[in-house]
Amino acid sequence: MKPVILNIWSFLVRLTARFPSIGSIAPFIPIVAAWWIVTELQIFPRVFLPGPGDVVRSFGLLVYTGVLPEYLQDSMVRLAVGAFWGIALGIPLGILVGLSQRAHTALWPLLLFFQAIGDIAWLPILVIWFGYGLVTMTVVIVYTVIFPVVLNTVLGVRSIPITMERAARSLGCSRTRMLWEVVLPGALPNIVTGLRNGLGYGWRALIATEIIVGTSGIGFLMFDARRAGSVVEILLGMIILGILWYIVDSWILAPIERATGQRWGLVTR
Amino acid sequence: MMQHRLSSALWFCAPFVVLLVLWTVLIPYFNVNPRLFPHLGSVIQAGLEGIKDGTLIQHIGASLMRVAVGTVLALLVAIPLGIAMGVSPVVSSFLTPLFRFFSVLAGIAWIPIATLWFGYGFGAITFVIFNAVFFIVTYNTLLGVSTIPLPVRNAAASLGAGKWAMLTEVLLPGALPNIVTGIRTGLGFAWRGLIAAEMIATNVGLGYMLFVARDFYKTEVIVLGMIVIGVLWLLLDRLLLAPLERATIERWGMVQRS
Amino acid sequence: MKNLTIRNLSKTYFDPYAGTNVTAVHDVSLNVEQGEFVCIVGPSGCGKTTILNMIAGFLPHTGGDILVGGRPVNGPGPDRGVVFQSFALFPWKTVLENVAFGPKMRGVGKAEREKIAHEYLALAKLTEAAGRYPAELSGGMQQRVGVVRALANEPDVLLMDEPFASVDAQTRMTLQEELTRIWQEKRPTVIFITHDVAEAVFLANRVVALSKGRVLEEIDVDLPRPRSWDALNDDPQFKELTGRVLQLVRSA
Ligand SMILES: Nc1ncnc2c1ncn2[C@@H]1O[C@H](COP(=O)(O)OP(=O)(O)OP(=O)(O)O)[C@@H](O)[C@H]1O
Ligand SMILES: [Mg+2]
Repeated sequence: MKPVILNIWSFLVRLTARFPSIGSIAPFIPIVAAWWIVTELQIFPRVFLPGPGDVVRSFGLLVYTGVLPEYLQDSMVRLAVGAFWGIALGIPLGILVGLSQRAHTALWPLLLFFQAIGDIAWLPILVIWFGYGLVTMTVVIVYTVIFPVVLNTVLGVRSIPITMERAARSLGCSRTRMLWEVVLPGALPNIVTGLRNGLGYGWRALIATEIIVGTSGIGFLMFDARRAGSVVEILLGMIILGILWYIVDSWILAPIERATGQRWGLVTR
Repeated sequence: MMQHRLSSALWFCAPFVVLLVLWTVLIPYFNVNPRLFPHLGSVIQAGLEGIKDGTLIQHIGASLMRVAVGTVLALLVAIPLGIAMGVSPVVSSFLTPLFRFFSVLAGIAWIPIATLWFGYGFGAITFVIFNAVFFIVTYNTLLGVSTIPLPVRNAAASLGAGKWAMLTEVLLPGALPNIVTGIRTGLGFAWRGLIAAEMIATNVGLGYMLFVARDFYKTEVIVLGMIVIGVLWLLLDRLLLAPLERATIERWGMVQRS
Repeated sequence: MKNLTIRNLSKTYFDPYAGTNVTAVHDVSLNVEQGEFVCIVGPSGCGKTTILNMIAGFLPHTGGDILVGGRPVNGPGPDRGVVFQSFALFPWKTVLENVAFGPKMRGVGKAEREKIAHEYLALAKLTEAAGRYPAELSGGMQQRVGVVRALANEPDVLLMDEPFASVDAQTRMTLQEELTRIWQEKRPTVIFITHDVAEAVFLANRVVALSKGRVLEEIDVDLPRPRSWDALNDDPQFKELTGRVLQLVRSA
């Protein structure tokens, strides 16, 4: 018994060494298998817990009818628009608060408080102001993305050693050029971390918004399915959400974060 | 020292005072429709009424109760599980992607299925919170245990630490900073998930209070709810979680990658 | 390159916790000619860093004058290059980009400034490391980059605050020998701060002994150049000079 497991294990190790992405898929195999067995044995009623096959079938159907691609696109566009504005506003604000003591005194407490209110709590009043639609969603996502970006940018700016600034000044760097040459690159690893966190929160906020006030998108798909009592489509939505974010986070954002911080030696480990 | 603290507390409050003054002055000045944004006075009034007739306290109590129950249940399961899985590097490296996947789904994405499985009410919401905290804390615990340097574990073993001592003296304290970080992040998601879930799936709680007020354009109740939500989270995060995290990390000189 | 004049320089810090003034530098006067190598030596806390930071323009002085080429110092500027104890290289720039930074700030074109940088890197035997990031270098290499980065900007005065204090003893000796070699080649005006008496005598034309914020004495060092530790280790004149400076610094 034991050698067989060991053989499988060493095969897996060799495989994941060659194709690292398999390493992130492998643990899902037993989970999906267990899920399949549980549904086949009919431990829970089928309407309550459909099997993997049902989910795949519903995936095929929704792709075929064009609903899924359309919803997916809607969600991604909303996230992208929100993220863009969140970054465009968040980084300058963070640099301002990080550099100027006055701006810090005036804005830092407000930033903490408004972050604490959280995106979702804004939904009711945003709906009153802007109705159901893109504006409301964009505001919510920008609101979610902006705080982690600002707070981390401030942290990054403030963690630049004073000697770095002095070195640049004594090499003839003017205060305005300092922004581009020292402040921005020095804070960059933190900014990327903030962005990663912000997008993580923004992603969830998007789903919540689509669930509560949406008319399209993956969150809406799930909530619509909830209304119709279709567990299959809810599960499908969850799986798509997970996979999408997993791809965005671990194949795009995390490598960027490592690339900036690690080579520069600003991030240990 | 005392004076220093006092003045920094005052400076912290100053921007809020400015904001409140702007609020009292600008809203009447521009003659803003109270159905769009309330006067400060009516928000205060709504708050006092809510306290007097007990509804506000009831909503707050319900929300906090759900968070507490969901979080405690999640921690009871997550920490032992995380430690058990983290001890073996093989198991932990195998399971890491799984838990990352599920921590992505933390909270909000579970709302539709939770309401289907448990119906509207306490069960569904607690389930959402449980999920938000459980996966993130398990993941962080796993990470924390597996990053304890092997020499430290070897040292403990060669000093005669048995299984139990290894757990309480090495693994748990070693993973603690990660666990606390996990709790903080997890609760952040749980709190948001709670508000969202209460908007959909219940008839009591802060989220519900906001969402119902929207139907009647009672902006003063909405704004009151937002302030309460903000203040509660700020208190929870700044007075409890952040100091806890700082204490564990700084005390032991463990630097987080954050 | 121009000469540096310090007249009756003093610095008083306000200590907010004790609520009192602390005078870290009293009435220091010093004249450094163009192309001179001056070492300021003294025990910890005697005000060396304070003096250097005032010359660099990082700190405002509270009395006296600092003149570079006859012009008073007002904030940091490219006429005074600084080498930091903590290196202070830009971690997000390659070694080449770090060294080319000063010329870039002067508006020198890309090709030209890279040529300058390569020239200086060759001077410090760092040609191989040009494309690497500072984090990928050893401490000794990082500090060599720090030195040539300051030099490549061709400052009137080069200010160095215990630049070799954080490298190991062997590397330090190599760096000291290299610094004297580079100095002989380029002849910059240098103010070098250290608490290591042997280092001061080894490097300098003139050693200024400092104690409690005051200049005790200035001692000329006319040991022959090029200097190397092999030759100087048992040189009687070197021994005599270090002994004298050591006594000065310790007696105070
Ligand atoms: N920012 C400051 N505020 C108050 N006092 C200061 C400040 N910086 C330095 N001092 C005081 O000024 C004196 C000289 O400090 P300085 O850093 O110049 O010493 P140093 O000679 O460079 O010492 P070391 O060899 O340890 O670097 C010390 O007594 C120090 O306590
Ligand atoms: Mg010093």
